[in-house]
Amino acid sequence: MTPINISLLVFMIGLYGVMSKNNLIKKIIGLTIMNGSIVLFFISIGYREAGLAPILEKGTTDAIPTTILVDPLPQALMLTAIVIGISITALALALIVRIYAKYKTLDIQQLSKER
Amino acid sequence: MAIHIPILIIISPLLAAFLMLLSRKYKIILATTSIITSIVFILTLSSQILSGDKVIYHLGGWRGPLGISLVVDGLSFFFSLIALGLGLLVIIYSIPERRYGRTYYFLLLISLSSMIGVIYTADIFNMYVFYELLSLAVYLLIAYPKTGVTLWASFNYLIMGGVGLSFFLLGIGFLYAMTGTLDISHIAERLPVAFNSSTRMVLMSFVLIATGMGIKIAVFPLHGWLPDAHSMAPSPVSALLSGITVEIGIYCLIRVIYSVFSTEAFSIIISSSHTILIVLGVVTLLFGASMALVQKDLKRLLAYSTINQIGIILIGLGIGTELGLTGALFHVLNHAIMKGALFFCAGIMIAKAGTRDVQGLSGFSRQQPAIVFAFIIASLGMIGIPPTNGFVSKWLICLAAVEAGYAVLAVIILMASAITAAYYFRVIQVLFSGPPKQSSVLIYKGEQMIHGGNFFRTWTIYILVAGCLLLGLVPALGISMVKPAVSLLLSHVIP
Amino acid sequence: MGSSKIIRTIVQKLFPFIVLFGLYLISHGHLSPGGGFQGGVVIGTAIILLALSHGIEKTEKKFENKRLSMLEKLGILTFIFLGFLSIFLGHSFLGNFLPLGKPGQITSGGLMLFFNIAIGIEVAAGVSIIFYALVKYRGEI
Repeated sequence: MTPINISLLVFMIGLYGVMSKNNLIKKIIGLTIMNGSIVLFFISIGYREAGLAPILEKGTTDAIPTTILVDPLPQALMLTAIVIGISITALALALIVRIYAKYKTLDIQQLSKER
Repeated sequence: MAIHIPILIIISPLLAAFLMLLSRKYKIILATTSIITSIVFILTLSSQILSGDKVIYHLGGWRGPLGISLVVDGLSFFFSLIALGLGLLVIIYSIPERRYGRTYYFLLLISLSSMIGVIYTADIFNMYVFYELLSLAVYLLIAYPKTGVTLWASFNYLIMGGVGLSFFLLGIGFLYAMTGTLDISHIAERLPVAFNSSTRMVLMSFVLIATGMGIKIAVFPLHGWLPDAHSMAPSPVSALLSGITVEIGIYCLIRVIYSVFSTEAFSIIISSSHTILIVLGVVTLLFGASMALVQKDLKRLLAYSTINQIGIILIGLGIGTELGLTGALFHVLNHAIMKGALFFCAGIMIAKAGTRDVQGLSGFSRQQPAIVFAFIIASLGMIGIPPTNGFVSKWLICLAAVEAGYAVLAVIILMASAITAAYYFRVIQVLFSGPPKQSSVLIYKGEQMIHGGNFFRTWTIYILVAGCLLLGLVPALGISMVKPAVSLLLSHVIP
Repeated sequence: MGSSKIIRTIVQKLFPFIVLFGLYLISHGHLSPGGGFQGGVVIGTAIILLALSHGIEKTEKKFENKRLSMLEKLGILTFIFLGFLSIFLGHSFLGNFLPLGKPGQITSGGLMLFFNIAIGIEVAAGVSIIFYALVKYRGEI
């Protein structure tokens, strides 16, 4: 079970949560799980065998390291992806707060009937 | 300063959006000035682009595959001109409405700026980031009148859009795993080597990216968010959504198919994607047409008509010859103009009549004959009747289908045009009949506009209808705009 | 939203250290893991912690919504103006025009330090405003 397979499995679990749960908040949790699994996928792609953390030591005079480091680019990309995930979750929760104030229910079957 | 034009086109609406939050009085002036500035900047590049050249800009001074570049070539130029043109008309249409505060114009400018960001960027992860920014702004715009139905439509769109973009991001992850770079042209160079060693991961990335974009384009099984979102939104937002936001998904799909998977090793991907696009296009086309026949709500009918036209564009893309691509891209322009005009007219009619039911709008031709005339011309364009531009693009696609040997596709498109004629003529007949019956339902309070037909509103409709007739009578104008894009795409395809 | 005396005292004593840690993360973004967004979220979390333990009304008297909103707008406008300053000085948008120091020093990032500070302020204000909005909404429109 390599990390890539595990992250795809978690992605499928998140997708199952979004598709088949009736409560709106559980759907948001499923979407957050999907975003988290993509973060796991990217970070596990950037792993190199016996690699150190991509931080330069204090006092080194050259900017190009000579030891093996893990790939820092997916880590930087995932910072952006985490920010986007937070924004989507915040927006969805704001919409849920207003939907609950109007309809007094969070069940998607009742909401689609009432519309 | 002339070198910095690509980034200034993106930054100008963004800067105006944030400056608008500081002051309350200048929102409309800031909005219109920034979009006009961006349009002027794009037009200064037009002579360079139309002769087949590209404009590349490196952000932050980082060259090559290390940094993010902005590329303006024929395809990007075409789509960005449509986006900013329609955006300017949407802003002008929203001016008379007193209830739209700073937040509305802020969200409109952010969505336009991120649309241009999606179109211009040459870095595939940056395309995902800008696309998410566009989607967030659009979710908020749909939910802007905070009534129950708009909140529900926006939430539905959020869940499906979030899932779709997660698929897109996973596909980008697979591409990065195989090539180690994120620049689109650099991926295209490194991908054939990876294809020989790990074929399945390349196919998996293509399938994930295509599925993600399919959710945003609203092809047949994944279209569930579109009727709610496009009909419950306020009318100018509906025009923006149907006109250009769905086409941004088509742009991303074209970019990925033609620029990333573009070399000879991927002939199996390109030919199978053509087949899949044709099949999906036909199913979407027939589905949209038949669902639009049974709608009682005017804006829902127009939303299903959007699904209809997206099917035609996908068929044109799937055929893949020069005529097919020209017809498909020209239909993107025509659909933006005609659907924009239809949604603007629908907004005025719904505000005056107070109901969204088609039966409740009867007799409208006596109140405002000019608006009904504009509606008739725009719907003739959607059906595809000669002096309008819709006829030219549908004719090109049918001709391409017959030339490529798929004559049955031309028959299907003509059948769907007949169904389109049926539902549009039903609406026009109601508009010309007697006074409305008293039992019309479907009044949504969020849609009540204060002034119905105002000076700004009617003139935006006239400009769009004039463009519709102009492009229909002088089709060479539109085809010359599409030609650099088509030649760019064809130069990437395997010979 | 109140808590016991122990929690209120401890949060009150810990608050400056959390903000200091957040500022450390922001300013050393180009040398160690951290950066504008991460440090900004830590500072925003400190304000949320105050709101959870002392009650939202008292926190809002100290950190007013209008002031945080103005800080957020100033943060993002500073970012865009730094980009334009870079265009006026001849480099491309968001390009670096400060001299690079030795690697490992805090001055070695060039313009990255100022970007991190602008984004840190903006994110801290933004997270606090999101929290205020979600807590204070009581069903009125």
